[in-house]
Amino acid sequence: MAFNPKPDDDQVLVEKKSCARVIILNRTRQLNALSFYMVSRLLEIFLEDEGNPDIMLVIMKGNGRAFCAGGDVSAVVRDVKGGDWRLGAKFFENEFKLNYLMATYSKPQVSILNGIVMGGGAGASIHGRFRVATEKTVFAMPETELGLFPDVGSTYFLSRLPGFFGEYVGLTGARLDGAEMLTCGLATHFVPSSKLSLLEESLYKVESNDATTVSAIIDKYSEQPSLKENSVYHRMDAINRCFSRNTVEEILYYLEMEAMNNKADNWASTTIQTLKKASPTSLKVFLKLIRKARLQGIGQCLITDYRVVCHVLQGHYSKDFFEGCRAILMDKDRKPKWEPSRLELVNDRHVDCYFAKLDDEGWKDLELPERLNNLPPYVTSKL
Amino acid sequence: MDNDNRRASRRTEVLSNHLLPRPHTTTAHLSPSNCLSYAPPELSSSNPVSFDTYVMRSLLDGHNLDDRDWLFGLIVQSPLFNRQERGGRVFVSVDYNHTMEQQREETMRRIGYLLDRGVFRGWLTGDGPQEELRKLALHEVISMYDHSLAVKIGVHIFLWGGAVKFLGTKRHHDKWLRATENYELKGCFAMTELGHGSNVRGVETVTTYDSRSGEFVINTPCESAQKYWIGGAANHATHTIVFSQLYINGGNQGVHAFICPIRDSSGNVCPNIRIAECGHKIGLNGVDNGRIWFDNVRIPRENLLNSVADVSPRGEYLSSIKNVDQRFAAFLAPLTSGRVTIASSAVYISKIGLSIAIRYALTRRAFSMTPNGPEVLLLDYPSHQQRLLPLLAKIYAMSFAGLELKMLYVNRTPESNKAIHIVSSAYKATFTWNNMRTLQECREACGGQGVKSENRIGPFKGEFDVHSTFEGDNNVLMQQISKALLGEYIVCQTKKKPFRGLGLEHMNNPAPVLPSQLTSSILRSSEFQLDLFHLRERDLLGRFAAEVSQYQAQGESKESAFNLSYQVAEDLGRAFSERAILKTFIEVESKVPAGSLKDVLGLLRSLYALISVDEDAAFLRYGYLSTENAAAVRKEVLKLCTELRPHALALVSSFGIPDAFLSPIAFDWVGSNAWPSAQH
Repeated sequence: MAFNPKPDDDQVLVEKKSCARVIILNRTRQLNALSFYMVSRLLEIFLEDEGNPDIMLVIMKGNGRAFCAGGDVSAVVRDVKGGDWRLGAKFFENEFKLNYLMATYSKPQVSILNGIVMGGGAGASIHGRFRVATEKTVFAMPETELGLFPDVGSTYFLSRLPGFFGEYVGLTGARLDGAEMLTCGLATHFVPSSKLSLLEESLYKVESNDATTVSAIIDKYSEQPSLKENSVYHRMDAINRCFSRNTVEEILYYLEMEAMNNKADNWASTTIQTLKKASPTSLKVFLKLIRKARLQGIGQCLITDYRVVCHVLQGHYSKDFFEGCRAILMDKDRKPKWEPSRLELVNDRHVDCYFAKLDDEGWKDLELPERLNNLPPYVTSKL
Repeated sequence: MDNDNRRASRRTEVLSNHLLPRPHTTTAHLSPSNCLSYAPPELSSSNPVSFDTYVMRSLLDGHNLDDRDWLFGLIVQSPLFNRQERGGRVFVSVDYNHTMEQQREETMRRIGYLLDRGVFRGWLTGDGPQEELRKLALHEVISMYDHSLAVKIGVHIFLWGGAVKFLGTKRHHDKWLRATENYELKGCFAMTELGHGSNVRGVETVTTYDSRSGEFVINTPCESAQKYWIGGAANHATHTIVFSQLYINGGNQGVHAFICPIRDSSGNVCPNIRIAECGHKIGLNGVDNGRIWFDNVRIPRENLLNSVADVSPRGEYLSSIKNVDQRFAAFLAPLTSGRVTIASSAVYISKIGLSIAIRYALTRRAFSMTPNGPEVLLLDYPSHQQRLLPLLAKIYAMSFAGLELKMLYVNRTPESNKAIHIVSSAYKATFTWNNMRTLQECREACGGQGVKSENRIGPFKGEFDVHSTFEGDNNVLMQQISKALLGEYIVCQTKKKPFRGLGLEHMNNPAPVLPSQLTSSILRSSEFQLDLFHLRERDLLGRFAAEVSQYQAQGESKESAFNLSYQVAEDLGRAFSERAILKTFIEVESKVPAGSLKDVLGLLRSLYALISVDEDAAFLRYGYLSTENAAAVRKEVLKLCTELRPHALALVSSFGIPDAFLSPIAFDWVGSNAWPSAQH
């Protein structure tokens, strides 16, 4: 391998252990947030490995206390502020292509989620075949608080969680632990972090890309964790009652009813507070996205995500994303000024705008990497 | 000796294999590669997708797509709807092993869930086309899950609630509409009797007014007057609308509608009311149909639904409509909405049947053309194409027509009421008959798999059969169309004024002349198709008028002349419906921009028109087509099927029905029938 002294080079460490490709996210100071370089490099690795008969499975993990805290959106915002939103769009284009590749990959991907998994980090793991959570895992889709929306095709897996848990997780950005991830299906296994190195050793020895074989190996180290007593998962009934509603306003209304009927418990009122802090546009756009996603395949979800994200970057309808990044990531005053500022000011027509093709010269819908006989995205949902 | 040993050890192995259950592994000589494997039709190059299926779906559904998807989601995500995992995929359908009583309780629980999620919000208290369209869309989705659930809700909201809304006045609206929407009470609709169904004017229930107490007194005077088939009456309903003859001072004022409580809030039957069960049915067992007898039941004067006529406290009969016929027609208004919803739900059920049968036909193979050659996909047989694809074309045509009817209905005006009555009668009969035929064909096209309840089509046949007789017997409805058309004809002839409305304007033009030689391009042109349909309708209307007047000239009464001419009446009803459907299709097509989607619509429209011609003997019987031309039509049907075959998958995908509603054989039927899935 040539030693090209690129500064980004060590952000992704790539190793090969027998038949296993091991990919380590290594940008620890930024909690392994995905940079443009990382996304492009991962895409390259996944494309190359698919045709490589020596590689049976892919193991992904992160160095430090995070698996991956998301996409590096501050860099994107810098690019867009530099004058060209298309540069930002390029980041998402590659990231979404990577997500699609992972979701349709022919070799099992085992992601070891020993720490923070958020936003883009979820996109780089949940689409893969196996997700191993530990007692250190913290999962969240916190985008609505940033004025963005849970993207990376997450509406695909969130909409398929039990009941209306996906709506809850995506709208509120709720933190989940490893046990909760396993219970709701975001994780496929729970392995205590002390056993991870043994697990990895065993995985290196695997000689087939058969998913059941891989699963049996992880099973050997798995445990059945119990949910914490105050786990939100015990509130599934209330979540279903409130988050099955047709509009964000109704969801809030039913949360308020919930808070009134159950004053001893502050879950509903905290949830209301969280929703009130998020960007009203983000909430409405996300609700529409996840409702559409129930009936769509992963390809279509990503194409829609890409359209919406391009509108967000282009900033014609709202600049909430830039405002959110300013308030949360840059100035850190945590007081974003959303525009429109209230839910009732965001009407359906406003939301629909985000789903239309962009009227911008040369802009094209996301072109998914060629897979499975080059399927048109609008039929993949039936597969 | 060696041989004996070998035999002994082989014997031991066989025995131990029997005795020790082993994990089920495939042995080397039974390699799975010899097995048939399922290949998703989406992966085959013979099913290219040449148009955007979402755009197509928008044309078909026409309104409230997001609301529909929201409700599909509510159903799929709730354990109350009997989610079943088969081959890694979730399916929903009622539990076919449940008894009648269990089904009824499940239905009520599901209603509670939907109520709680705000599904019924605005169904009665909302006003305007937008609210009505939302209601219709959501009701269609419910009927795609379970017919019992849809009917149980339909009786409560559309029939009971609709009667209160359309036949009642403010005092009834204030008291009942919101309460109904919130299910604070459960309503039913007692119109049909043992002795009278479609002929509502003949009901025998009697109501008199007692001016001393200011009450109406309702009676069932004889066994044939018992109220029959009353959905909701057997177990749950607390209130009913009673249709009854009203006698004031000994004079019969005709049929009127009254609100009458039948159970208290704890579910006990009220005094002087007797209720019995209707028994197990061929479908709809989740609906508690019952029979009701009234024994001098007293209700307050205010319970008369008095939008049309009222009785004063002193017992005087007051009505703004003096004509008894018109008064009666006004009472039947709530039934129109029933016909609109039945017509469109029949189309959606056919869509499910066709989606399943066509997806199966794209993955199931049978027989090889050559020795050792691959077996042929069902849908690659021309015979299979001609069984399913014309039905697909018809469902596209009926979707558009049903949508137009809904728009006509939600934007109704006093002037359009007559047209709505006629068109809804025509479409209700045509679509529900077509649905039964479609389901039968789809069931057969799925072979043995079609017999399994979990694959839905079979149970649908029992469930939706009732469509052909409820809310108006189909045959009666079809005759009403011909009668109404004749009415128009006579008015225009005697008053020498042109035809207007009901699509009859073509009668004002000279009769169309058809080309004598029918080429493929003529057969596919919408002008030719419409000319041919116009010619049939115009000729049959003329014939019907002539025949009726001939019978009348022979001294027959008008009614008896109609009855004697029923053959032409039947042909005419069909000619009217099919022409109206074709015309709508052509209008939809004309609004679509040029491109692949429009081309496919053109193929479907031609197939719809030509299969209708091929199936109606009237074209030959009355000589609209020569025998050679009729043969050319039939050949063209076959060609159109071949051309539509590559689009079949995309066309059923465009229905936008979630996978969970399409049953296991529509997907990986090998996986869903494999041993591991039998272990659950």
